[in-house]
Amino acid sequence: MSHHILIVDDEAPIREMLKLALTKQGYRVTTASSTAEAGKVVKDDPPQLVITDLQLEDSDGMGLIARLKAAQPQLPVILLTGVLFDQQVVEETFADKISVYLHKTSPLSTIVREVKRCLDR
Amino acid sequence: MNDPAVRRVLAAFLLVCAVAIFAAIVAARNTSRAAATSDWVNHTHAVINEVEGIYSSVRVGEAALRAYVATGSATDRGAAREAFEEMSEHIELAKALTRQEPAQSEQVLAIAKMTSGRDELANSVLAAARSNSLESARALMARDDGLAVAAEIRRAVGKLRDDEMALLADRDTRAYLQAHTTRWIVWSGVALNFLLLAGAAWLIRDDLAARRRATAVLEEANARLETKVRERTAELSSANEQLSADNLERRWANEALEHQVHYSDLIISSVNDAVLVLTKALNISRINPAVVRLTGFEAPQLVNRPLRSIVTLRSQDAVAPAELVDPVVQALREGRDLRDLPAVVQDKLGRKTAVHCTVFPMRDRDKVIGGIVILRTASPT
Repeated sequence: MSHHILIVDDEAPIREMLKLALTKQGYRVTTASSTAEAGKVVKDDPPQLVITDLQLEDSDGMGLIARLKAAQPQLPVILLTGVLFDQQVVEETFADKISVYLHKTSPLSTIVREVKRCLDR
Repeated sequence: MNDPAVRRVLAAFLLVCAVAIFAAIVAARNTSRAAATSDWVNHTHAVINEVEGIYSSVRVGEAALRAYVATGSATDRGAAREAFEEMSEHIELAKALTRQEPAQSEQVLAIAKMTSGRDELANSVLAAARSNSLESARALMARDDGLAVAAEIRRAVGKLRDDEMALLADRDTRAYLQAHTTRWIVWSGVALNFLLLAGAAWLIRDDLAARRRATAVLEEANARLETKVRERTAELSSANEQLSADNLERRWANEALEHQVHYSDLIISSVNDAVLVLTKALNISRINPAVVRLTGFEAPQLVNRPLRSIVTLRSQDAVAPAELVDPVVQALREGRDLRDLPAVVQDKLGRKTAVHCTVFPMRDRDKVIGGIVILRTASPT
């Protein structure tokens, strides 16, 4: 059975392209444009991995990550955002909250590779 | 019919048919000749029988005639008459049988001529015996040289019989040769037909083998083609997938770039202080919306204009306005910040606003490529 991945981003093109790339790899992908929508998906069909943006329309991606981690501490989360963070910031601030930090300018192949790595752990 | 192999086989069968028909015609002709030969043999024997009958009748007739002359017996007279009548019948039959054969006919006529003398003698003797007396008949008989004539007739009959037998032997020889030739032709025809049929069978076998080879070659070529098509299809499918992935990657890169540009623009636009980006020559290259609100100028009216056209730096002691250019140029050259310098901004309508001017050098790696100017409206005192 294929892994279920939840993508949370308020930009539709980003969601659709990510979904297409991951579906081609055989994953089952659900998308959400807000934290509220993501909460519903998590409740109805818990994902094995979450990819989320940081700045969303209705809330902060980190808030969503905190809620997800509270319910499912081992859930791998990839933070995919346009906000540039220093490596030091990532290691000191987000290390215990996310599995991987990726900038949105990262190639799709890198994102897919990181998804595989997270799910194969 | 366009197939050469079919044409060859058909030609072989036509040849077989021709040979069989030829052999059949030869056999039929020989059969016909055999029948004709049989008829001719019968005819020859009939001729021989008739001429021998002539001689026999002559001998019997003369013997009966002599007996009659000697005895005067009516029985002998009747026998003599009957024998000569038979002789005449034999002569007529012999003539009829040899009518189509000039040499034999001539011989028969010669024999007939010789026998006619014997017939006349018999008639004379019988007539003399009937009218006068037996003595006169005996006198006629005594004068006749019958034995010599009989010997002559016997020789003629013998010659005719020998000629007929020689002819018969000759025709038998020819008939034998004809039959032999026919037998040879028929058997040769049969052998030739067997050879032709064997040739046709060989052609068919050869053609079938060639067709099987061609089919095998075609199947092999088809298999190779199918393999190539499968390989090419797989290559195309792979290339298509790669192209699709590359396309998606490019779309993603464009989207990410656009997102990033938008995000950077959003950051600058969201700052409520007037922010101006300067080139190294202190010309304005970019402004945020706060500059438009502060000066009344739109971006096209400010871009590529010198900073000093709207901003004038005031000296620290406020005695006389100083050109902003020099300290800014100095700061950018040295790569250091200028913070909260008092300055004046002149808007589109010529009104002046006091501001605090901060300048940050804009660095790209280790080089200063321009500056960021932030104008913060001074609080009214």
